[in-house]
Amino acid sequence: MLKYILKRIGLAILILIGVSLIIYFLIRLMPVDFIQNKVNAMNQSNTVPADAVEKLYEMYGLDNSGFKGIVKGYFNWLGALAKLDLGKSFVDYAPVAEVIAKNMGISFAVALIATIFEFMIAIPLGITAATHQYSFRDYLVTVLAMIGISLPSFFFGQMLKNVFALQLGWFPSQGTLSGAGSATGLALIPDYLAHMFLPILTVVILSIGPRMRMTRTNMLEVMNSDYIRTARAKGLTETKVIYKHAFRNTLIPLVTTLAGLLPSLFSGAIITEQVFGLDGIGNIALNRMMQGDIPFIMGYNMFLAMLSVLGVLLSDLMYVIVDPRVKLD
Amino acid sequence: MEEKNILTNENEVLLDTAPEVESAEAVVDTAEATVTAEIADESCETVEKETAESAEAVYEAAESETEAAESEIADAETEDTEVPLDRNVKLMSPMQMVIRRFFRSKLSIVGLVMIVSLFLFSFVGPLVYTRWGEIELDESGTVSYTTQEIEVVGEDGTVTIIKQTVERQEKDNYLAPPSKDHLLGTDEQGYDVFTRLMYGGRISLSVSFIAVLVITVLGVILGGIAGYFRGFVDNLIMRICDVLMCLPGIPILLIISTLLEAAEVDAKYRIYWLMVYLTLFSWPGTARLVRGQILSLREQEYMVAAEAMGYSTGRKIFKHLVPNVMPQLIVQMTLSLGSMILYEATLSYLNMGVKAPYAAWGTMINIISTNTDILQNNFNVWGAPGICIVIAVLGFNFVGDGLRDALDPKSRR
Repeated sequence: MLKYILKRIGLAILILIGVSLIIYFLIRLMPVDFIQNKVNAMNQSNTVPADAVEKLYEMYGLDNSGFKGIVKGYFNWLGALAKLDLGKSFVDYAPVAEVIAKNMGISFAVALIATIFEFMIAIPLGITAATHQYSFRDYLVTVLAMIGISLPSFFFGQMLKNVFALQLGWFPSQGTLSGAGSATGLALIPDYLAHMFLPILTVVILSIGPRMRMTRTNMLEVMNSDYIRTARAKGLTETKVIYKHAFRNTLIPLVTTLAGLLPSLFSGAIITEQVFGLDGIGNIALNRMMQGDIPFIMGYNMFLAMLSVLGVLLSDLMYVIVDPRVKLD
Repeated sequence: MEEKNILTNENEVLLDTAPEVESAEAVVDTAEATVTAEIADESCETVEKETAESAEAVYEAAESETEAAESEIADAETEDTEVPLDRNVKLMSPMQMVIRRFFRSKLSIVGLVMIVSLFLFSFVGPLVYTRWGEIELDESGTVSYTTQEIEVVGEDGTVTIIKQTVERQEKDNYLAPPSKDHLLGTDEQGYDVFTRLMYGGRISLSVSFIAVLVITVLGVILGGIAGYFRGFVDNLIMRICDVLMCLPGIPILLIISTLLEAAEVDAKYRIYWLMVYLTLFSWPGTARLVRGQILSLREQEYMVAAEAMGYSTGRKIFKHLVPNVMPQLIVQMTLSLGSMILYEATLSYLNMGVKAPYAAWGTMINIISTNTDILQNNFNVWGAPGICIVIAVLGFNFVGDGLRDALDPKSRR
């Protein structure tokens, strides 16, 4: 087991190096240059001397845009990354890791609550669809799941915003906090929740489909197996057969996906946060990306890649732990 | 390789035999083809087994197999009556059965209708409805008068109110409500929404088709090579897949989009370039599917036969292995058509894809990300393209799902 884990971690590091190579070279090719933008803005009064600009570039390791310079910059950046230093954001004048950590909270809260609801709704629906295969209920669940998969997040989010925030006025349409009140501490929680309600609803409805289908497929597979027939032959009640015998086995894939999902809770939903103007990490990243904040883009993309590598790793490990039939080579 | 398998239900007969053939050459081509007999009774349900081979191979096989099948039917142990089966039996190629099963599901018919009507709407529509062009402004604006009150404070401190009438000449007839002239009204610029919907559909649909095609070609070639050669090549390709799968999609595309902007790519073709780059990051899914299938298929007897015949590697991979992956591949392609449309729409919504004045469904929705007035009051401007996106994606998902069920040899319905 230990050997397996070590091997997987080694592989994960290799993957991350590959990812960092691609991201770094792509970003170095990017023409949106924050320093240039800034200098241009300041230069309207011709106050910035040319050598100061060069110094700025040098400071950020962007002075040489030739091939050699980029390679050198890459290794410098990688060296810093090994020390867990993601560099300093151009826009925020703060370490990238700090900026990410600061804005992650709200994204994490949205994702966590959404995931809890998602599993709570999707699993029972998936089970009823499977136990009543080809019935009206099954078709209804399937069609609803499909519609959820097919909705574009921006369109659905805007629609919810239009109906519930703008037309009905039940929820605030923009932002993370209303700010009007002088409340602090725990009293802020209802305000946060009111702002988070619609984003959470969007995420839940959009991602419930795949989960439901997965539960249904697994459940169907289990329901067709021999031991279920044996359980029925023994004369067990249908509830016992379904929830005590069948459902336990569908838990294996569910738990593995849950483990795989955990890291992605931190990644933020770019589009949803943009629609609702939520100050989560996704929305911040989108803004920084438009502004050409190179260290932040690098850091954020690497952060996302690390999360997905970690997700795969966790779900594979979970699979080994949960399912006793799986043997390691 | 002979495998007789007869399932007899009250009104279901399944015959599933590997073909009997004379030459080794034919063994390779018709291997795995199935002969399925079905009682001519229209109401009966057929049960099929075995993966369908490529249609051609099956047709080839079907002719030579009729005899073989008949003799085998006689040989087979049937507990049923003495009625000669061949009279009641209608031969169906696997392709025909797949089509039959596909159309049995209502959802897949609905999906097909959705897609076909969207295609007609986008590609034939602009030829029929020529009232407005894609980038033709409605300049029949109206003149409006507004009266303003202006307070003027005199030198001695008295306040006089002057009424001033301002004539506003709007050249463009923007945000017009739906009418006979503009079926879905006009947008904030004065373009006809209905017309732009048709042109936007052209872009969304063609872009996703191109992307899926490229993804499939890349995925089949790389996955085929990885699965066939195994060992080092497989390892290398799979590690590249791992890396590409870990790349965050939308952020990377945003970066590439700014790169394209710098390269001054024509606004009309930018989205095509963007999708080409998207394909470079999206083939691993298909490659993994193909590889997994080929890993199991290459152990089959007909591959041993192909080996014995001394066929070239390319022929073995692309003529014998890849056709057997086709069912899963077709399903994957249909489903990814839907997700490509979503990708394109999202990029356009973020103003990274198709840019004004050209239309794409996502671009048409882009306006509401900044303008809440339009979001609140002009559903016709942004709702219509959104509904089109949903219809397109839903249609492809329905069809893909129907195909999956129809092509799945395990499905019994």
